Amino acid sequence: MVQNIIEVRNLSKSFDIASKEPGLKGTIKHFFRRQTKRLKVIKDISFEIKEGEIVGFLGANGAGKTTILKMLCGLIYPSEGSILVSGYLPYRRKENFLKNITLIMGQKQQLIWDLPPIESFYLNASIYDLDKFEAKKRIKKLSEMLEIDEELYIPVRKLSLGQRMKSELLAALIHEPNILFLDEPTLGLDINAQRNLRKFLQKYNNETNATICLTSHYMKDITSLCKRVICVHEGAISYDGKLDLLLKKLSPVKEVLIVCRSEDDAIKLENSNFTVKNKIKNEITIKIENNSITSSLKTILNNFDIEDLFINEPPIDEIIGKVLIKKDYDV
Amino acid sequence: MMFNLINRKIFTLLKVQYSNMLEYRVEIALWAISGIIPFFMLNIWTNNNLNESINISDVMLSRYFLCAFFVRQFSVVWVVFSFEEDSLMGKVSPYLIQPLNPFLRYFAQHLAEQITRFPFALIIAFFFFIFNPESIWIPKLGLLLLSIVSTFLSFLIQFLIQSIVACLCFWTEKASSIERLIFIPTLFLSGLLAPVVSFPEYVKSWIYLTPFPYLIDFPANLLSGNETNISGGLSMQIIWILLLFPVFRKIWSSGTKKYTAMGS
Amino acid sequence: MNPRKYLTVYKKFLHTSLASELEYKTNILIDLITAILSLIGSIFLLSIFFQNSGIIGGWEFEEALIIQGIYTILNGITNTWFNPNLTEIVKHIREGTLDFVLLKPIDSQFFISFKKINPSGFLEVILGIFLLIFCIKINQIDLNLSFLILSLITIICSICILYSLWFFISTTTIWFVKTWNATEVLRSFLYIGRFPLNSFSFSLRIFFSVFIPIAFITTIPSEVFLGLSQSWKILLEVIVTLLFLITSRKFWLFALKFYTSASS
Repeated sequence: MVQNIIEVRNLSKSFDIASKEPGLKGTIKHFFRRQTKRLKVIKDISFEIKEGEIVGFLGANGAGKTTILKMLCGLIYPSEGSILVSGYLPYRRKENFLKNITLIMGQKQQLIWDLPPIESFYLNASIYDLDKFEAKKRIKKLSEMLEIDEELYIPVRKLSLGQRMKSELLAALIHEPNILFLDEPTLGLDINAQRNLRKFLQKYNNETNATICLTSHYMKDITSLCKRVICVHEGAISYDGKLDLLLKKLSPVKEVLIVCRSEDDAIKLENSNFTVKNKIKNEITIKIENNSITSSLKTILNNFDIEDLFINEPPIDEIIGKVLIKKDYDV
Repeated sequence: MMFNLINRKIFTLLKVQYSNMLEYRVEIALWAISGIIPFFMLNIWTNNNLNESINISDVMLSRYFLCAFFVRQFSVVWVVFSFEEDSLMGKVSPYLIQPLNPFLRYFAQHLAEQITRFPFALIIAFFFFIFNPESIWIPKLGLLLLSIVSTFLSFLIQFLIQSIVACLCFWTEKASSIERLIFIPTLFLSGLLAPVVSFPEYVKSWIYLTPFPYLIDFPANLLSGNETNISGGLSMQIIWILLLFPVFRKIWSSGTKKYTAMGS
Repeated sequence: MNPRKYLTVYKKFLHTSLASELEYKTNILIDLITAILSLIGSIFLLSIFFQNSGIIGGWEFEEALIIQGIYTILNGITNTWFNPNLTEIVKHIREGTLDFVLLKPIDSQFFISFKKINPSGFLEVILGIFLLIFCIKINQIDLNLSFLILSLITIICSICILYSLWFFISTTTIWFVKTWNATEVLRSFLYIGRFPLNSFSFSLRIFFSVFIPIAFITTIPSEVFLGLSQSWKILLEVIVTLLFLITSRKFWLFALKFYTSASS
C-alpha cells in the first residue's frame, strides 16, 4: 500500500489586488485612495499525491498552477483549507520539512553568478548540514547522472543555459529531497537539453522513488514524464486523473486519409455510412471512432481498392489547448 | 533641418520620460530629501559662529547653502548607474541599432527627472524659509537667469564626466566604482559642504583651475547674490564643456567599436 | 538553532563572497583609493571648521578626530557588510529568488544579512582603527581594561544599531521594491555622524537623538574614549541597541508573513 505524501483538502487562496486606472488621473486617484479587490485565485481544490508519483499540473497562464505549487512548498499561506506534505504543514517551514523538499524554477537561479557551480554546491551542503565527504559523494553521483563534469569548475556566468539548468538541479538536489517541485523547468532550453532533463527526472524518480510535481508549457514534458495530470482552470481543478484517459476522452475520433486507386471507389466510399470530412478527387478523409478503428479499417480494406492510407493522430498540443480553456472534464 | 529633427526627437523623448518619471515620484522625493546635507552644514557654521572669520553674514551664508542645495538638486547626474544596469541587462544592443545616441535618451531622462523634482525642491525650500524667515530674498532677474544658465552648464559638465565614466562600461564591468571615486572630490571641493572662499590658501591657489568650484560654488554664489567673478566663472564652465565633449565623442566611438567587435 | 552549523555556513559565505569579489580586482583597488580620499576629505572639512576656532561644540580638533575615526570604522562596516547584502536583498525580491532563501533550512534573517561581504571596506575599518590609535596618543588617553571594555561595548552597540537601521530598510523592500533611495536618505543623515552632536543647534540635536539615533552611533563611543561618558548613557545605549535589534527582527518576521500571504 503506497502512502499519500501530499494531501490537499478544500484549499482556497485569495489575494487583495490593487486596481488602478490607467493614465495620470488614475495614478493620482490611486495615490490618495487605494482601491483593492479581493480575488479568489484558488477555489476549493482537493487532491492527493502518492509517494513516487510524477504529477503534471496543466493550465493556462494565470490559472493558478504556480500558486498551488508555492502553497505546497510553504511559500504562500493558504486562505482556507488544509495542506499536509509528508506529514508537515508546509507554511510553518519546519527545518525537517524543508530538508525533505526542493523547488526548482525554470527562470530563477540560485547559483552564485560569478563563481563556479561547485562553490554553490558546497554552500548548500553546509546549509543542509551535510559534511564534506557526504557532499562530495553526492555531487559525484548527481554529476554523473546529469552528465556534467568540467562545467562544475567554470563560473556560472560563462555557462550555457542548458549547463546552468543542470547545475541548478544539482544544487537543488544535493540534500536528496523526497519531494521535488518544478515550476517550468524546461523554459528556454533547446530540444536536446529538454530531453536530457526529462531523462534525468525519470531516472531520478526510478532510483530514489521521489515524488515529483511539475508544471510546464511544453507538452512533451508532461506526456513523457507524467502518468497523471491535474488540470487547473481559473483556480479550480477541471481534471484530475490519468493522462491517457484524458487524451482518449478528448479525441474520441481519429482522422483517416484514404487514397483510392480510382475516383469511382472514392465516390462509393463517400456514399457508404462513414462520416466524411472532405474529398478531393480520389483522396478522401473520414472520421472513425477510436473503439472501432480496427474493424472499420478491415471493412474498408476488404471492400475497396486502396492505394494508400494515413491515420492522423490529432496533435497533443491542440488537445491540451482545449483543456486549458474548458471548465470541466469528467472521465 | 537636421537641427529640427533632433529637436523633435528630444521633445518627444522628454514627454515620454516625464510621464515615466512621474511613476517614480516617491523615489525622486526621497532623493530630494537626501540632498539636504548643505542645511546640516549651515547649522554647524552658524551655530558655532564659524562664518565670522570668513566675512559672510549668517543671512548670506544661509542663502548660499540654500542655493547650493538648489544647484545640487538640478545638477545631480546618475547616468553611469543607469548605463551600467542597462548594459548588464543587455539593453544596450537594441539602443545601439536605433538612430539616436543612447546618451541623448539618458539626457532626456535627467531633464524629465529634474522637472519632476522641482516641486519637491520648492517644498523643502519652503520649510527652510519657515525655519529661517530672515533669509528670504528675491534674486535680481538678471542674476536669476544667469544662475539658471550656469546651473545647466554645471549639469552639462557633470553629465559629460559621468558619460565618459559610463563608457568605461565597455571595458570594465563595474564603472560605477570609478564614479564613486570621482564623487569624493566633487563632494568636498565643489562647495556643497563649505563655500570655496572658506578653503585654506594652499587649496584656493589651484582649485579654480579644476572644474569642481564651478559645479556648485559658482552657481550658488551667483544665485544667492554673494560676490563672485561672473564672466570668469561662466567662461571656465564653457571651457570645461568644450574640453570634455571631444573626449566623450572619442571614448564613445571607440567603446562602441570595441563592443560591436566583441559581439557580446 | 545549531551554532556550529551557522558557523560553518558563515565560513562558506565568507569564502564565496570573497571569491566573487576577487573576480573584479580593479574594482577593489578603486574602492580602496576612494576610501583613502574620503577620509582625507573629511579631515580637510573638519580642518576648515577648526581653522578659525579652537573649539566646536565643546570639542577640540584632536578630540573631534576620534569621532572621525569611529565614523570611518562604521562606514567601512557599512560598505563591507550592510551595503552588499542590501543590494542582494533588492535583487532577491526583484527577481523572485527570495523563495529559494525561504526554503532553506536556515534562519532567513541570518542568510540575507550575512550572505555577502565586500572586502573593499576593510581598509576603511583599518584606517579608522589607525586614526583612533593616533587619537589615543595625541589625546594622551590612559589605556586600561575598563576603558577598553567600555569602548568595545559601545562600538559594538553602534554597529548593532546601524545594522538594525539598514536591516529595517532592507525589510521594507518587500513592499516597495525600490527602497534604494530610502538608503540614500539614511546615508545623508548618517553623514552627520562625522561631527560632534553638540555642534548642532538644539532642535537638530533632539532630532538626531530621537528619530535617527546618530547620537548613539558615534557620539557616545567617542565620549567613552575621552572618559567623558556617564554610565547611564552607556546603559541607555545598550538598552536602545536591544530595542533596535528586537524591533528589526519582529519587523522582518512580520514582513515575511505579508510576503507569504500576498505574493504570487
